[in-house]
Amino acid sequence: MVIDLETCTGCQACTTACAMENNRLPGENWQDVLFYSEGEYPNLNLSWLPRPCMQCENPSCVSVCPTKATYKDEGTGIVLVDWNKCIGCKYCMVACPYGVRFYMDEAPAVEPDVRAEFPASGRRSWNPPFKMPDEYEDASKGIGIQPKGVVSKCTFCYHKVSQAPAGVADLDEDNPETKEFTPACVRVCAPKSRFFGDLDNPDSHVNALIAEKGGVRLKEETGNKPQVYYLSGGGSPAVPGNRSRRS
Amino acid sequence: TSAEAQAAKTPNTVVTKNICHQCPARCGIDVYTTDGRVHAIYGTADHPISNGKLCPKGPLGIYVLYDPDRWRGPMKRTNPNKGRNEDPGFVPVTWDEALQTVADRLNGLRERGESHRAAMLYGRGWGASCAGLLGTFGGLYGSPNMPIGHSSMCSDGSIVAKGYTDGNASYNSHDYRNCNYLLMFGVGFLEAFRPYNNNMQMWGYMRGRKTPKTRVTAVDVHVNTTLAAADRGLLIRPGTDGALALAIAHVILTEGLWERSFVGDFADRQNRFVAGQTVTAAVAPEPVINAETGEATSPEITGEGFVEKWVTGLVDWWNIELKDRTVEWASEITDIPARDILATAREFGSTRPAMAIFERGAHSHTNGIYNGMAIHSLNALVGSLFAKGGMAYQMGPSYGPMPADANEFKDDWANNGDWKTQPRVDKKGSSDGYLLARNMMQEIGPNHLAGDPYKLDTVIFYQNNAIFTAPNGQVWEEAMKDVFIVDTSPFPTETGHYADIILPDHTYLERYQDSPTYPFEGYPLTQLRVPAIKPIYDTKYFGDVIIELGKRMNGPMADYYRALDSAENVLRHLAKGFETDPGDNGVNSWESWVEKGVWYKKPYFWQQRDGVFFEWDGTDYNREMTPEEVGQKLLKTPSGKFEFRSAALEANSDWIVGATGRDPANLMFPIWEPPVHPGGGDLYFVTPKVALHAEGRGHNIPMVIAHLQPTVGGRGEAFVEINPVTASARGISDGDRVRISSDAGSIEARCRVYAGVRPDTLVLPMEYGHWASGRWSKAVPTEHCGEATVNQSDRITGQAMYYSTKVQVAKA
Repeated sequence: MVIDLETCTGCQACTTACAMENNRLPGENWQDVLFYSEGEYPNLNLSWLPRPCMQCENPSCVSVCPTKATYKDEGTGIVLVDWNKCIGCKYCMVACPYGVRFYMDEAPAVEPDVRAEFPASGRRSWNPPFKMPDEYEDASKGIGIQPKGVVSKCTFCYHKVSQAPAGVADLDEDNPETKEFTPACVRVCAPKSRFFGDLDNPDSHVNALIAEKGGVRLKEETGNKPQVYYLSGGGSPAVPGNRSRRS
Repeated sequence: TSAEAQAAKTPNTVVTKNICHQCPARCGIDVYTTDGRVHAIYGTADHPISNGKLCPKGPLGIYVLYDPDRWRGPMKRTNPNKGRNEDPGFVPVTWDEALQTVADRLNGLRERGESHRAAMLYGRGWGASCAGLLGTFGGLYGSPNMPIGHSSMCSDGSIVAKGYTDGNASYNSHDYRNCNYLLMFGVGFLEAFRPYNNNMQMWGYMRGRKTPKTRVTAVDVHVNTTLAAADRGLLIRPGTDGALALAIAHVILTEGLWERSFVGDFADRQNRFVAGQTVTAAVAPEPVINAETGEATSPEITGEGFVEKWVTGLVDWWNIELKDRTVEWASEITDIPARDILATAREFGSTRPAMAIFERGAHSHTNGIYNGMAIHSLNALVGSLFAKGGMAYQMGPSYGPMPADANEFKDDWANNGDWKTQPRVDKKGSSDGYLLARNMMQEIGPNHLAGDPYKLDTVIFYQNNAIFTAPNGQVWEEAMKDVFIVDTSPFPTETGHYADIILPDHTYLERYQDSPTYPFEGYPLTQLRVPAIKPIYDTKYFGDVIIELGKRMNGPMADYYRALDSAENVLRHLAKGFETDPGDNGVNSWESWVEKGVWYKKPYFWQQRDGVFFEWDGTDYNREMTPEEVGQKLLKTPSGKFEFRSAALEANSDWIVGATGRDPANLMFPIWEPPVHPGGGDLYFVTPKVALHAEGRGHNIPMVIAHLQPTVGGRGEAFVEINPVTASARGISDGDRVRISSDAGSIEARCRVYAGVRPDTLVLPMEYGHWASGRWSKAVPTEHCGEATVNQSDRITGQAMYYSTKVQVAKA
């Protein structure tokens, strides 16, 4: 995934679309937008950073998981959580450098608690009337209503992208052929600041964007090798993503 | 296709077309329903406004549908006492009883010759099948107060300012795709300016992919996402936007940057606009008559005078006002450094096409009419009106006729009744009220309380929660106690808390409803809501409520409503217009409208190019228009030109002088007039709408509450933004609960010390403080900014000045 910060408007549509598509609790955002401000009046710099799961090539959450509940899906490279195996120990939440994993049984971000308004039976934490279609739910991949006592995370809308025809370089919401397979956060993005494609496919648009507009990854020093790249402009050097070749 | 592949995975999924209801933008949406559950909303791909995208509100429409606090069906009040702390004691009734109760009330008033004491107040009207029915009802029934729109509490300031300058009392359509410079005054382009979703699509294009990249200067009172994303953000003293615009106009003229093909030029092409010095208008020489043929020819104009082309009054405006409106002068008034004003003016004046756009931030002040006229005049100076990359006006759709002609169903009372001599209760159009305004809804509460011009008896509210949204709504709380109130919201509201009868509407995902676009890109476009599921509760579409009420009225008007039959029948008749004028997407019938959700027909018909107006001839903008055609179709002023000297204002000079004390010598020009700030405080109080503000329903959506004000961390509540210097001078620390007080009232909110807000200004988003609109909003600790906002209106535009109050702030 590529996120272009030059055109991102900080509107949070990615956040709300993800939340509704994936039945997230209010404020428990798989896809958040973080806001920063620095400087003194009148020279204040207000900036923002959309933050999905980085879907690391070398994810620290996977290596620390004692039950192998968190794993990397071989076909897509997406990091998933098997809710049948997760014991809720939260090691992965500590290990994740990006803060993008969520445990369900915390105090609600918004009162009254919607879980009480839409109660569910068994391990299910709640049962909203707008729940995703039954066919999409898959506890082995962490898709659906998050059960009590487990950790969840962004799946890159696995239930959508995994349906795409094999070999497609880009999942573009503006292409009628791929619209329905595009992750929710990409699909709604009004300024078209998000792009979803196959990093292993040299023909993909995401590879071109990373090269042309100076794509960088967050916290390269961790060695996690995120598969989410940020663009902060083009035509001039961007913050380098790895060490200088001189040394 | 991908839709088919997805269908294989979820065979029970049905996609219906609808229009988002959470702001005026009218984005086409695809509503996904599976096994009876609505579970996803995405933008409609082949819809010109949404283009498959959404803003952050769009996906949350599902919450609106499934809001657990919705009304379950029609109800009547059992507790006669009304007040914030009175339980209405609502009990369920049948639709028949509820409608008959209201009809009996209206029939009784009419029999007593008091039909003017019944009113219908509406907020967001959508189209011919809802608010469009109300005027007809008022005309048949006989009330000047049916309906009264909310436009004065919305954005009439910009509409009226445009009406007085270019003759179109409307919002503009915009060609952002081809615009190279945007100058925005108090607009909130990336938060609230309509159509927000499309604005962001255009933003991504203008700022990311377009060549050349569109340059942007944004003017506001605090750093929001728009200012942060712009090339230049100017933090202006509230209410002084007109001074900034006048200085920009001054620079454009003195530096010779104006568009000569539209504005005109000095006859000898020498620029004589020099600060502090007057200029003269050219005098057209007498035509020369050929003695033999009788043919008249006009000799070329010579000399030092200015020859105007598509504008009037420029020379007088310069001599009376502009010549002294220097950058240094404006810097003092606006508190913006002179170098920034100069740089902005030079950029705006030298980049074509450029647009200056504005909304309430600029015109929601006592001088709003002049702020608006001054800003809009910049568009004339750089020739943006009807130009490619500029602004124009919206065309209407090709609707078929209604099922019946209302004029054939009028009885004697409707035609000649005494109600025709009654003023409107809001005193719109009254010389002792607001002679020139379009609506004055904010005056209804106070006027009723005073019995001036009379007491109302019955009020029907549609999409309108005036008791909460009117500035200083506490007055309405007192005023509405002795009025029989009918509320039609699907949800509990403060106004509904005062209701005697509740006639709950369907939510937008449950009803058929039409909606011609708000001004967008000019070409005609209208769209349709199609129910995604059967209504969950015992509710009724408001359009059908009006029709059913009409059928219960005495006299011939009942026959008219029997002819309409139902709102769906009305919509089917409207769609007949498409049979002879199919849309670009093939929509040519009711059925295809339901399938596609939108009818539109490009292009916009007119374009001004280098001072010449052209009309579309079927293939391109080829047919040159005569000045008479331009005046009739585009610049609809008395002169047929853009009027820096407004003939319409001048015609009302006597009333304006009497009502405002303004100077008859200059009141018709875009002039600088210092704003008046009531309230008794020392800090400006600005209460903007933010991206998640869903027109009076976001406050009860948990997902909205979790994300309302991200720029300063407003999650779970709304913070009042206060500058660090201002806070420390009052012993206020970040996170403190503070009390904000004015002459109107006082409220509490938690503060966020934020270096992005002006030291003389507090900013608190308008959203919370609801006390009867659902459990989630009631649980939010932020109180309502409207209770500390003085009810003051622009005497000309009628605009309610939500941003003109000055307040005090102290630790609570």
